Amino acid sequence: MSRENKLFGDKAFELLKDLERSSQTIPAFDDDGVRQVLEEIKAIFEENVAQASSYNSSGDRSLWPLLNYRHAALQRNKRCLLAYLYERSKRIKALRWEFGPIIPGDIKQALCEPEVQFFNNYSKSLAAYMCIAGCSQGQGIDLTNNLRPPKSLYIEVRCMEDYGKFELDDGELIHLKKNSQHYLPRAQVESLVRQGILQHIA
Amino acid sequence: MSDDEITADLQAENDVDAAAALANDDEEDDDDVEQITAQKVLEILETAWINEMCAPEILPNQTDMLELMVSQVSHMEEQMRDLDKNDFRAVVHSMELERVRYIMASYLRCRLQKIETFTQHILNQEDAREPDDKRLSPEETKFAKEFAGHVDEYFHKVATQYMPNQQRGELDQRIVVPNLMSHVFLKANVAVPAVIVGVDDEEVDMAPGSQHIIPYQLVADLLQNNQAQLI
Repeated sequence: MSRENKLFGDKAFELLKDLERSSQTIPAFDDDGVRQVLEEIKAIFEENVAQASSYNSSGDRSLWPLLNYRHAALQRNKRCLLAYLYERSKRIKALRWEFGPIIPGDIKQALCEPEVQFFNNYSKSLAAYMCIAGCSQGQGIDLTNNLRPPKSLYIEVRCMEDYGKFELDDGELIHLKKNSQHYLPRAQVESLVRQGILQHIA
Repeated sequence: MSDDEITADLQAENDVDAAAALANDDEEDDDDVEQITAQKVLEILETAWINEMCAPEILPNQTDMLELMVSQVSHMEEQMRDLDKNDFRAVVHSMELERVRYIMASYLRCRLQKIETFTQHILNQEDAREPDDKRLSPEETKFAKEFAGHVDEYFHKVATQYMPNQQRGELDQRIVVPNLMSHVFLKANVAVPAVIVGVDDEEVDMAPGSQHIIPYQLVADLLQNNQAQLI
């Protein structure tokens, strides 16, 4: 049994701490870390299986605490790992609310393949739910709108990039040019504000 | 001259009244059976919204009320289209509509959030309930099941499939359960005698309109019967 100068579960705890500390929307998926934890789990498990069989045959009570200890370490590793994934899945869900059904390229790089899939699945379910929410025959409610209590009907916005033409509900056409300022109905431009195309100014 | 002004004022007043009454009248026309006003629907919805926000567990769904309100809102929108955009009434009404829409969206969002957090727990509870007693709407149930599936799939792909066999399942270890004993602020709607508080069967009489801080579980049934509401 080679033992490094490290305790069981260190790596798993590290994973969680890193995620907790990161200030990014979502840090890159720690492939290495996850694999190391999984290997540790496997190693502990195999050691335990081996000793459990010798315990069974010899009935040596002195092995009992060791078995228990390893089992606890294993549980802890597993728990940390799943907590890591759970926290990430929460952040991925938040992405859907923030950016809509398509992940921006730079964030997508931080996700691993199953995570992208999770995002897509989640997005699909959510969209399906919103289609029929609260209304059995109609168009449903877009829950990603109206995120904040409405304070006023119109808001003043500054355009951050050249967006082109934007048609309001009443058919009025507006040219959204970079650095131009407009006074627009909040409900209709909220998604543009969230995408960063428009900026809400006081 | 002055007479004219008065008539004009009266006229305007009538218009406002008519517009305000519009909601109520139409609702009654649409729904002869239930005889429930839009005002009432909104009240119920608001209470449900606040209760949902404050309660630790998921409450029975209000799909009926929500549907009434949605159709009411789209109805109002149609009426508003005839109004001049710069009309004062148009501004007031559209502001009101925005508020209603926010309440509905926020209410549903809040429920979704609970469903996402307590997925497995809620699904288990739903399975144990009678069909008439279900708290989730069919759509929510569908969403919850799908969501549980997605999370499991994700966990499985990334981690659990690489774990030793015996360590894999244990799904029940991962169930997140709301803390029903968390304290909530509560206002009694009617007089409720002898509510048991605390472990040693201590009892408290609630006067109508009185406010209390109390663990949620002890008063959960008062919410169900609409004898009290959270604040």
